[in-house]
Amino acid sequence: MMLGLGSVEIALAFWLSVAATALCVVYGIVNWNNKGNDKNGGGAS
Amino acid sequence: MTGKIIGVLVYLAVIFYLGYKAWLKTRESTDYMLAGRSMNPFVLAMSYGATFISTSAIVGFGGVSGMFGMSLLWLTFLTIFVGIFVAMVFFGKRTRRMGLALDSHTFPEFLGRRYGSKFIQQFSGVVIFVFIPVYAAAVLIGICRMLEVAFPAVSYGVWLILVTAVVAVYVITGGLKAVMYTDAFQGTIMAAMMLILIVTTYTLLGGVTEAHQALTDLAGLVPAGLAKGGMTGWTTGPDFESPIGLTVYTTIIYGVGIGVLAQPQLVIRYMTVPSDRELNRAVAIGGVFILLMTGVAFVAGALSNVVFHKEFGKVAIAVANNNFDSIIPLYIDKVMPGWFSGLFLVAMFAAAMSTMSSQYHVGGTSLSRDFLEQYVSVGNGGSSMKLNRLGVTVAIVATLVWAWLLPGGVIARATAFFFGLCAASFLPIYVLGLYWKGMTKTGAKVSMVGGFGASMFWLLFIHVKEAGFIGLCQAMFGKATLVADAAPGSWMWLMQWVDPNVVALPVSLVLAVGVSLATRRIEEKHLDLCWEGLR
Repeated sequence: MMLGLGSVEIALAFWLSVAATALCVVYGIVNWNNKGNDKNGGGAS
Repeated sequence: MTGKIIGVLVYLAVIFYLGYKAWLKTRESTDYMLAGRSMNPFVLAMSYGATFISTSAIVGFGGVSGMFGMSLLWLTFLTIFVGIFVAMVFFGKRTRRMGLALDSHTFPEFLGRRYGSKFIQQFSGVVIFVFIPVYAAAVLIGICRMLEVAFPAVSYGVWLILVTAVVAVYVITGGLKAVMYTDAFQGTIMAAMMLILIVTTYTLLGGVTEAHQALTDLAGLVPAGLAKGGMTGWTTGPDFESPIGLTVYTTIIYGVGIGVLAQPQLVIRYMTVPSDRELNRAVAIGGVFILLMTGVAFVAGALSNVVFHKEFGKVAIAVANNNFDSIIPLYIDKVMPGWFSGLFLVAMFAAAMSTMSSQYHVGGTSLSRDFLEQYVSVGNGGSSMKLNRLGVTVAIVATLVWAWLLPGGVIARATAFFFGLCAASFLPIYVLGLYWKGMTKTGAKVSMVGGFGASMFWLLFIHVKEAGFIGLCQAMFGKATLVADAAPGSWMWLMQWVDPNVVALPVSLVLAVGVSLATRRIEEKHLDLCWEGLR
């Protein structure tokens, strides 16, 4: 878990960076086709 | 040298082709200011990321990591979690919907229409227009100094004009579409280079754990001056109650990590897509992109100590003659394969151009849409386009003038200055505007002006990096900061290294909530309009 890093604080920052990226990827994939429910939709205004 | 020239020429050819494509598709002011609200998720994510990450984020902050170590990974975590996930999911979707309901085309216009206040639109427009050229000038200075080293036959002054001219052509003509198309291409180059950089670095050092362990083992070689300032090693955090600890945790990590949420050139991108779907997809792409940028820069910057120690018997900051801005360029030049240095230069050129183009665009539209159009009657879309192009041209000229006047050491200061001012002035009224119907027009005005004032006070009179550089406190009171003569080591003395946002942001937030609770609510009819797309 420490991956050779000298303190728990830095190891935590390292793993949280990886975990945050994983969160982004999983969120993006799960909601890949979710357009939301706004009635205005979009397109050019 | 020939390889570098060919690389730059091919790169410029693609940029001009994308700029030309964007120009063909830019016919009305919504195209120019919001890319027609029709961008795809890949372009959105790469443009957002490439705008956020400039050369100074990679070379400057990567060098800081080479000097101070991996504690900067906290900033990597915040740039991904706050800068991408929170920004897109909790800010982006609501901003897009509310912006559409209010027909907003710029960040100041969004704030102004949310609170029904022309003052808010004009004040924020002027703050952005006045200060973003200084930030853009810092990026311009950085890349021109790199180009001057890579191509010594061309002088620094000529590079300033050449780089400005190249970016000006496509931003003035193609507006936000040109900015975002070219950003996406530039971001792709940056991602590829950073991937090569981290794989090569870990491979050179025998693997991930082996590389980190070797860096941990160098702790005894921390230069005496840095150890005195609070540094304990490259894989351990600095002492919090020290000048280095406070600089790393309050300015670099908190200031930049939170400040990203109120950057007008990033906020505007939420309004360029047609639905939430594009934002959802951009979260996945953007998360990986930012890890490749800040994660790689900070890890490779810190690990350069091990490589330099093996090769030259010195740690990175010693090899760089105490100039941390040189650590990454030296590492690329001395350690990475020869073919890589040319491509890395193109990547840094791309990083600078993608940030500058957005700064020019947001500065220019702030001047035209948020200030001039309040006084000049624009009859139709064509006139508005002309005014926007005029605004962007003025922002570009202002940046060039600043770049000519400011010294090289201003790069990191100008970036921190702009992030600080934006966060203190805009973040509370932006967040509360998205989520709290009880926020009032008066509360928003007082918070914005109060946050701006508190931030300026701290920057000019307390925070030694800016106060010492600007010199106003010295001229008025005969000392670099108001707390310069406090007892060394005391909390009052340490305030000189506490970021303005630690103080100004809470001040702005308290003013927003406090004044709003005591003043008249915004009419329900207007709130219904704001919340129309959020139900």
